Amino acid sequence: MTVLLEVRELSKHFTARGGLFRRAGAPVKAVDGVSFTLARGETLGLVGESGCGKSTLGRAILRLHEPTAGEVWLDGENVTALSGDALLEHRRCMQIIFQDPYASLNPRRTVAQAIREPLEVHRIGTPVERERRVDELLDVVGMRSSARNRYPHEFSGGQRQRIGIARALALDPALIVADEPVSALDVSVQSQVLNLIANLQRERGIAFLFISHDLAVIQHVSDVVAVMYLGRFVEMAPAAELYRRPRHPYTQALLSAVPQPDPARRAGRIVLQGDIPSPTDPPPGCPFHPRCPLAVDRCRGEVPALRAVAEGVSVACHLIE
Amino acid sequence: MNAVIADALADPTPRSLWSAAVRKLARDRAGLIGLAVVLAYLVAALGVWLGLWATEWAEITGSKWAPVSAEHWFGTNIIGQDIFQRGIYSTATAFEVGLVVAVLAAALGGVLGALAGFFVGSWIDELILWAMGVLDAMPFYLLVAAVAFALADNPWSMHVAMIATFWTTTSRLVRGEVIKLRGMEFVEAARAIGVPPTVTIFRHILPNTTHILLVQMTLAFVDAIKAEVILSFLGLGVKGGMSWGLMISESTLEFLGGHFNNLIAASCLMFGLVYAFNMFADALQDALDPKQVSA
Amino acid sequence: MSAAPLLEVDGLTVEFRSLHGPVRAVDGVSFTIGAGETVGLVGESGCGKTVTGLSLLKLVPSPPGRYAAGSVRLSGQDLLAMPESGLRAIRGRALAMIFQEPMTALNPVFTVASQMTEVLRRHGALGRREARDAALALLKSVGIPEPEQRLDDYPHQLSGGQRQRVMIAMALSCDPKLLIADEPTTALDVTTQAQVLEEIRRQQATRRMAMLLVTHDLGVVFETCARAIVMYCGVIVESAPVAKLFSAPRHPYTTGLLESMPRIRDEKLRELPTIPGRVPELHRLPPGCRFADRCPRAKDDCRAVEPQLTTAADGSQVACHHPS
Repeated sequence: MTVLLEVRELSKHFTARGGLFRRAGAPVKAVDGVSFTLARGETLGLVGESGCGKSTLGRAILRLHEPTAGEVWLDGENVTALSGDALLEHRRCMQIIFQDPYASLNPRRTVAQAIREPLEVHRIGTPVERERRVDELLDVVGMRSSARNRYPHEFSGGQRQRIGIARALALDPALIVADEPVSALDVSVQSQVLNLIANLQRERGIAFLFISHDLAVIQHVSDVVAVMYLGRFVEMAPAAELYRRPRHPYTQALLSAVPQPDPARRAGRIVLQGDIPSPTDPPPGCPFHPRCPLAVDRCRGEVPALRAVAEGVSVACHLIE
Repeated sequence: MNAVIADALADPTPRSLWSAAVRKLARDRAGLIGLAVVLAYLVAALGVWLGLWATEWAEITGSKWAPVSAEHWFGTNIIGQDIFQRGIYSTATAFEVGLVVAVLAAALGGVLGALAGFFVGSWIDELILWAMGVLDAMPFYLLVAAVAFALADNPWSMHVAMIATFWTTTSRLVRGEVIKLRGMEFVEAARAIGVPPTVTIFRHILPNTTHILLVQMTLAFVDAIKAEVILSFLGLGVKGGMSWGLMISESTLEFLGGHFNNLIAASCLMFGLVYAFNMFADALQDALDPKQVSA
Repeated sequence: MSAAPLLEVDGLTVEFRSLHGPVRAVDGVSFTIGAGETVGLVGESGCGKTVTGLSLLKLVPSPPGRYAAGSVRLSGQDLLAMPESGLRAIRGRALAMIFQEPMTALNPVFTVASQMTEVLRRHGALGRREARDAALALLKSVGIPEPEQRLDDYPHQLSGGQRQRVMIAMALSCDPKLLIADEPTTALDVTTQAQVLEEIRRQQATRRMAMLLVTHDLGVVFETCARAIVMYCGVIVESAPVAKLFSAPRHPYTTGLLESMPRIRDEKLRELPTIPGRVPELHRLPPGCRFADRCPRAKDDCRAVEPQLTTAADGSQVACHHPS
């Protein structure tokens, strides 16, 4: 499999803007030196709790946020160095699906207008061809073409999410960043949308960066899973391996915290102490050490690097050889 | 919890947000009564503009202080002009002032608010905020008087003064809404697709602020009519025409003689329009509330 | 369960005004909760679970809501027939509630101490000093670190998990007999959710307090409750002890919900099971069973006659013509 996306030491720091009468605040290291590669047609599941920087990472890759440092290579081209028309051209290859189906569609634009817009911006096809393409895309995401002249508020959350997916597919992207695409949906609808995404990946060979806080959802769609904590990857492993044998103490806690209707899982629960530290003031050393049940002195002083510990498995923990 | 309740109540098949708003408005009885009264006033004003009636508002058609009669419905004033005709003629003035001020103040406030909101934190935003702060810090009537004096001979001085002060409220509201909208995912989606910023503002952001502009326009309309009455009363308002404010100003000469027809007619006509318009504006505000419409 | 249950809901029907005339968000719901029992009320959005929870405290906003029929009896007293003044004495005392979003349920301009002592002084008739001590003890008991400092914090200075703990402490302050928790952990992260659920379980067990947990999350119900009630489109479709409900669901909707729930599995599935179609709109309910259009087991009788909730010998209930 060929490499589609390569992220090198990507960082995104937010600084509260200074102004005439305001002082600039301390930077928040939302994403702090993240590197990984993603093969064509593969799905990387990115899991972490709120504030860990997973959404920011997705947006920095798409350059919806300008990265502070680091590089993003897509299809052999350095996306971080592009600007103007070259960047516009590149936006065709990478698209995004959003979390909130109620906020991701303009309430004053019809379904057809929403799905057609990317085609118009990139001047693809004649008006007639664009109309045909809209019908085709609606069909792909399992909606009737009678939906085309209706407004988003006439649809349920799940249907809106399908419309958002159709819009993302319009440009035939090689990579789609899916940012919590099913978190706002009801359980029975969640599984429908997850199946749709899994099918798209299989049938169209689209690579996904699938962002979620839900390990159960991540398992269903991912080939590889990365766990993020306070702006860094703490573990990255093939999905089957990660669920069978989580190595980082945070991954273990995260897995055991998922409420499951399964009596076997209830027994070995690890309940972490304390809260996630604020990203404005991260602890020294390993960012996880204040909550880690296994922390030793070394963890308090030295930041562990993400190291390969087995075939395809990398972990950032001093205690794992 | 409210979202859940709203979900249960969600209306499944309105065609567009506008038709949903119209349907909602059509169920609001107070709003409809208000609208009917406003339309009646509008018909009166149209008649004046088309020269159908109240053509003799400046003529002396009767004796001084004639009582209410079939010929002079509201009596006559100190020099024998027909108060009813003058009152109706003033309706046209009120609409003209109200509409000009409302439309231009909303347009100015909308554009500046959208600019400030979209470029929030930049020098454009700071400049617009500064201008709004300065204008809001001055007492309204003092500012209007200053502009009116500065443009003393200009018939539009009053309009300019009102527009200059009324736009700030609209601008603040639009700015806030635009700041909210620019962070919404559909605006981010437009960026991800590659839609240029100018197109984003006009296609994705401004259409979503129209409910604010409409409601602000109705409020500015009422404020302008009320301000006109006071300014005309003070001699800073309408020049070379007739208005309710001028009628009330005129009536001060009549109090000593015990004649209140001018005052009562002008006050009641103004009160009727302002009250009816407020009823309509309230209903409109409810109907256009995007949270209630799109829920 | 004891002979006279703590809470007895009978035929509760709540109507809402809508553009299509009145719709029934809750339509003839009956259930009981015994003293010290934990019951989960599950269903998807719009199924009426939240409205049911609010009705127990007569908190449904009215208008647009209206209690069209039924009763809610707490220790024999009908709350829906009670005047507002009587209800105020019961809310927060015998019946307490915690909400999904602790940030909006706490008043941002008052400190934790002043909000907690207000409740304690009003219901518990404590003095200023005693109330503060009681508040401190409560914060300690729900596991808030450095409780002395937290007392003088404002809600925005607390993390989401700490806010929810403060909400729990406030709800517990008058030793309620029944706690209604509406999606108490939905807004929290998984690791924080685990902490808060653990706390709720602990408090519930030590205080022998009954609890109604309203949630969409089957996993949370499984881990927290003894019995679960499943709602669909305003009616109860199934009610059973949790272990039985999860191992042998009888209603096809429960089965579908359990199967379609993404859960951590030993083997990744190629296709997640789904429930076809979508929830019918409340103003256009089908004539027979509300689930018939989406049901794999539906037959002609399902489309004609609405099934009634029937009780089996073991007390579990199901509303289905063809239960498994």
